[in-house]
Amino acid sequence: MQPITLTLQKRDGTQWLEKLLSLGEVIAPVHGSGEDVIFSTAACADAVLWDFVNPLHPPKRIVLPQTDPLVKIKDNGQGHEVEPIYDDAPRILFNARSCDAKGIAFLTRMHEMEPADESYLRRALRLTVISLACTAPCPLGFCVCTNSGPFLSDGYDVQLTDLGENYLVEVASQKGHATVSCAPSLFRPATESEIAQRKRLEAEARNHFGEETCHFASAMRRVSTGRVSDALWQRISDWCLECGACNFVCPTCYCFSVKDLGRNGGWVRCRMWDSCQYTAFTLEASGHNPRPERKERMKRRFFHKVSAQYYQRDAMVGCVGCGRCIKACLGTTSMPAVVNAIRKGKWNE
Amino acid sequence: MNNVYLPTVAQLVNVCDETPDTKTFTLRFREQGNGNHFHFLPGQFFELSVFGYGEAPFCIASSPTRPDTFETTVRRTGQLTDALHRLGNGEEVGVRGPFGNGFDLEAARGKDLLFVGGGIGLPPLRSLIWNVLDEREKFGKVTILYGARTPTDLVYKQELQEWGKRPDVEFHVTVDVADTSWTGNVGVVPILFEKTTLHPESTLAYVCGPPIMIRFVVRDLFVRGFKEEAVISTLERMMQCGIGKCNHCAIGHRYVCRDGPVFNYGQIKELVE
Repeated sequence: MQPITLTLQKRDGTQWLEKLLSLGEVIAPVHGSGEDVIFSTAACADAVLWDFVNPLHPPKRIVLPQTDPLVKIKDNGQGHEVEPIYDDAPRILFNARSCDAKGIAFLTRMHEMEPADESYLRRALRLTVISLACTAPCPLGFCVCTNSGPFLSDGYDVQLTDLGENYLVEVASQKGHATVSCAPSLFRPATESEIAQRKRLEAEARNHFGEETCHFASAMRRVSTGRVSDALWQRISDWCLECGACNFVCPTCYCFSVKDLGRNGGWVRCRMWDSCQYTAFTLEASGHNPRPERKERMKRRFFHKVSAQYYQRDAMVGCVGCGRCIKACLGTTSMPAVVNAIRKGKWNE
Repeated sequence: MNNVYLPTVAQLVNVCDETPDTKTFTLRFREQGNGNHFHFLPGQFFELSVFGYGEAPFCIASSPTRPDTFETTVRRTGQLTDALHRLGNGEEVGVRGPFGNGFDLEAARGKDLLFVGGGIGLPPLRSLIWNVLDEREKFGKVTILYGARTPTDLVYKQELQEWGKRPDVEFHVTVDVADTSWTGNVGVVPILFEKTTLHPESTLAYVCGPPIMIRFVVRDLFVRGFKEEAVISTLERMMQCGIGKCNHCAIGHRYVCRDGPVFNYGQIKELVE
């Protein structure tokens, strides 16, 4: 499909959302309890936030729930029946930030690799991602370093840009098209000057990122060739509390374990989030553990995220620059801090 | 698209005690019709479900040349294997697979083959051994060296005797610690190298066993002139999915489940944690 660029008047935003709510579940940034902003099902159009700081938890759980049912197992008395569980519900992710849209695109590419993961893909195929470009950097974000923001050139179905009076609506896919064709009267083709304004806003947003960002290239060179000393890994992991929060809030982390849960007299085989920072992640039945020490697990995490070997496979680093690990880490092992330490060969005291 | 996590229901058609904590399970697909056999290569593994307990990877211990059923030999060592050990004939389990690369049979054609197994490391070799013995004319000299901690810990006791009697197989067995009934070799596996003549230039060596045994056996093989590419082993890692997705078995950017579990020593050296 040829990409098209439209304009939506801001005051029509609510009307559009009401249309979208009739198409399926709309998941968007909404107020949770207290002051928290969370990604959750929007009960009505007015609940959807347009001006917000990105929630601590990314919308990854829409496509990859923390406990993801894969197979139903039942003993019918004569024998066991097994059947796959699929989630084909149509969903719209609305007002996701660029980093989170890119995170979902990353997960989808990974699950498409042979052998393709049907459980994930069926859910992802029914998900329409409507992203909201960032006209200013968020407090902890460094998406300019990971090519996943502040504006996107791919990885979305529809990208919205706040132009002041209007939203610019860039439609990139068939799924995206369905979300605008359901309310044709609300949209008109964008003018040249509106498109120029979007370009200007993107350039301005890029310029607002400070120097304190995340320089992956030289870190990648060192991580890929094993030129990070053991002592530095030890120092980096000194303040890791092995809580796994960095994994769970990361839009690109997908490591999992498989467990059977008892349900209705049978079982449901589930995929569950796991963390490479846990000792038991590599613990074998024999008792042998190839990564018994925290520094080894830290090394593993950053090899998977930053190495050229994985960059070659995934066409991006395993980071979308959202800055959530900075916020979630109870210690000091966030992506920018570690990349910086690797790059300089020493921990920044 | 086939669902990669959906197991196929199989039945246990035989359960046989090997040692006090190890059993061999013979499996057969419940709906086994024409051609619905388990197609695999020696050295590959599969994910075995004990329903309600989850699944875990086990090597296939039988040869693909005997396709009606397939076997796996499992030591009781955790919740899932404990539950598996409680199952008997006719009971059902789930099977996914086969997974992994398996041994390269074509590369072994015409070569002399040396199998060195320790303890519970024999099952993956057994799949290849029986494949080779069932197509004996395709291969050169076959030598099998096997050792275990005690005579009780030897697996496939019946077959060990059979291999010992075959004129087309050179077989030696040893135990670390003998009991009163044992009249054979006593000592660790590498002592068996003294009992046989090796031809490193024409031989492929397959080594499976506990890490400590592998270390000494491989060192001895190199001292005797084996090249790294001629020494082949299977790696073990904690695994969940078996298809390179869950990341438990990753070593660098390689996955034991997909790129392995069979590697030669040249390849193993290149694996960077």
